[in-house]
Amino acid sequence: MQNLIQSNSVSTGIWLVLAVLTLLTFSIGEAGMAGRQVMLGLLFIALVKGQMVANYFMGLRQAGFWWRALVLFYFLIVGGLIALAYLMGLD
Amino acid sequence: MQYKSQAVAKPYFIAAIGLFVGQILFGLIMGLQYVIGDFLFPAIPFNVARMVHTNLLIVWLLFGFMGASYFLVPEESETELYSPKLAMITFWVFLVAGALTVLGYLLVPYATLAKFTGNDLLATMGREFLEQPLITKVGIVIVALSFLFNIAMTVLKGRKTAISLVLLLGLLGLAVFFLFSFYNPANLVKDKFYWWWVVHLWVEGVWELILGAILAFVLIKVTGVDREVIEKWLYVIITMTLITGIIGTGHHYYWIGAPEYWQWWGSIFSALEPIPFFMMTVFAFNMVNRRRREHPNKVATLWALGTGVMAFLGAGLWGFLHTLAPINFYTHGTQLTAAHGHMAFYGAYVAVVLTMISYAMPILRGRAANSPKAQVVEMWAFWLMSVSMVFITLFLTGAGIVQIWLQRVSDTPMGFMAVQDQVAIFYWMREGTGVVFLIGLIVYLCSFFVKSESKVAA
Amino acid sequence: MNSQSAVMVYEPQAVQAVSREEGLPGDFAIWIFIFAEMLAFGVLFVAYAFTRAGNVELFNASQQTLSQTAGAINTLVLITSSYFVVRGVAAIKRGLSEQCAWWLSGAVLLGGVFVAIKLVEFHAKFAAGISLSTNAFYMFYLALTFFHFMHVLMGMIILGCVIAKARRGGYSARDHVGVETGASFWHMVDLLWIILFPLVYVIR
Repeated sequence: MQNLIQSNSVSTGIWLVLAVLTLLTFSIGEAGMAGRQVMLGLLFIALVKGQMVANYFMGLRQAGFWWRALVLFYFLIVGGLIALAYLMGLD
Repeated sequence: MQYKSQAVAKPYFIAAIGLFVGQILFGLIMGLQYVIGDFLFPAIPFNVARMVHTNLLIVWLLFGFMGASYFLVPEESETELYSPKLAMITFWVFLVAGALTVLGYLLVPYATLAKFTGNDLLATMGREFLEQPLITKVGIVIVALSFLFNIAMTVLKGRKTAISLVLLLGLLGLAVFFLFSFYNPANLVKDKFYWWWVVHLWVEGVWELILGAILAFVLIKVTGVDREVIEKWLYVIITMTLITGIIGTGHHYYWIGAPEYWQWWGSIFSALEPIPFFMMTVFAFNMVNRRRREHPNKVATLWALGTGVMAFLGAGLWGFLHTLAPINFYTHGTQLTAAHGHMAFYGAYVAVVLTMISYAMPILRGRAANSPKAQVVEMWAFWLMSVSMVFITLFLTGAGIVQIWLQRVSDTPMGFMAVQDQVAIFYWMREGTGVVFLIGLIVYLCSFFVKSESKVAA
Repeated sequence: MNSQSAVMVYEPQAVQAVSREEGLPGDFAIWIFIFAEMLAFGVLFVAYAFTRAGNVELFNASQQTLSQTAGAINTLVLITSSYFVVRGVAAIKRGLSEQCAWWLSGAVLLGGVFVAIKLVEFHAKFAAGISLSTNAFYMFYLALTFFHFMHVLMGMIILGCVIAKARRGGYSARDHVGVETGASFWHMVDLLWIILFPLVYVIR
């Protein structure tokens, strides 16, 4: 029981962090910021959010290491290719 | 046999195999015409041989699907067929109509056939795979409707299982999409656009539901694995199939004048089409490994596994080879397409119908399985046909690559006929493996007549 | 089966092995689905990015016409609904069917809010005469968001089925694979939007 109550407060915490990160992304966009660092920063925020959802909400923390690695690789590969394409667009 | 009315499946299976033989003979004639252009000319011109080869394929597969449904549905629904008499009437109507149509192709010039059969009233003829005269098309619709009615009534009065519902959905889709064969707009873009609704949405859409249902049925029977497990996988596979297959229609819209976004949609979704086929293979092997009974019909299990593997190779892998728009720009309409078509049809549909026949025919003939000796003969047939089909595919792929190179990629492209001369060696090898395929088919036929010294207890 | 006198070997683990492979929450079949969907979206995301690289100005100009506010609100809506689903799963783990159903209902309600906001966005674009053929940006914007939209609807249907079963008391503290299966699908919908939002609405 104690565990479950703890886990509820953990997920509430995660939810709050996700909301704050979303607002951060939003304000970066509203401020009209652009460029290499901003792009990488936004992708990094997405990576962090994605990992939080996958590991805590989806519960991959309890699943095998390779499943977690698979989702992380997915984010790294997709995010990396997106970053690469944006850098190509900057030139 | 659990239900008497399942017996109506037998004539359907026999007709299917008979037409299969015809299809292969015309395939061999046509294969020879690729290298000896005037072979059997003017009696059987190339275009007629091709029409007979492809039309017979479709008709015999339809016979196979119908026979499979008549065998499968009473058992799944746990009730007799709604009307075995209707099933027999449609059988004879379909067989006679099919035979008359093929005779029409062979004996009368196509234009004359069109004039005789009312093509002036509603022009539907002359399109690849849908060459049937108007009256045959109407006949197909009537046969399909009465068949659907019969099957649907049986399902409705009995137990409703996932397998029979998926099968019914597939058969319904088959009938509905065939209606687009009556829509033949003068605008060539629209014509092609909707033509694919029959051709593509059949083989890469609703037929796959029929395939999935038949395969799942046979796997339940031969492995004894829990129905829930098999049904769950069936659902996952058909959902993936429908999503990728329907949007994947876009891979036919790249160069026909359809909007440009189809190049993205078609590429991405059809690139995913191999996934459900891969899952089907994994699923089949998984179920067989986890079997809870040793079914005496070993060869049916072999066919079921063969369906998974060959469908994945032919439909999945060979389809993927040329489905991305930038690649398809060079490859569309070459021998690579023919390679894909051959192995996909064999692996997915020929194999699944033969799986069902292999499982059902012994039961229809009053035994759980054929004698071990007959099964060994049938296994030889399986390997001869499957391996020769792999080689037919490889040789056509070779021809396709050379053709693409000389005719499309090269800075100084050669003309179509000049390139055909360059790839003649591949066509000869294809014809040779085609003969091996025919031998495999003859061995297959023989397997039905192997005397069983000791019948397996029924 | 009178025609099969074959030997039957009973293996109770067989079913269990399929439904819980490697400790992934929910039915293993849904995970095949989730990975396939992530692959499809991944390809679309990367295709978007590389197409943009060749048309940066066009993409930036078209992106200006999107409502970042709507996108951000929808992100918050989905994240919150995902959180509700987490609470729903936690509830059923304690055997509280009623609570579980309420949390999931909240998630579906938020899904409805997402759908409504998205429909307003689509309506505005279509009213402005924008279609898949307008330009490459709108093609990707409409395709990606519509495809995602369909997944939200699908997720709502799945959660709806889970809620109905939970209300009937169909799940328990020990047996709640169905809840976890629906939850996993819903989190995937959230996960994809987490990439989609910055990619299509914000990064320029």
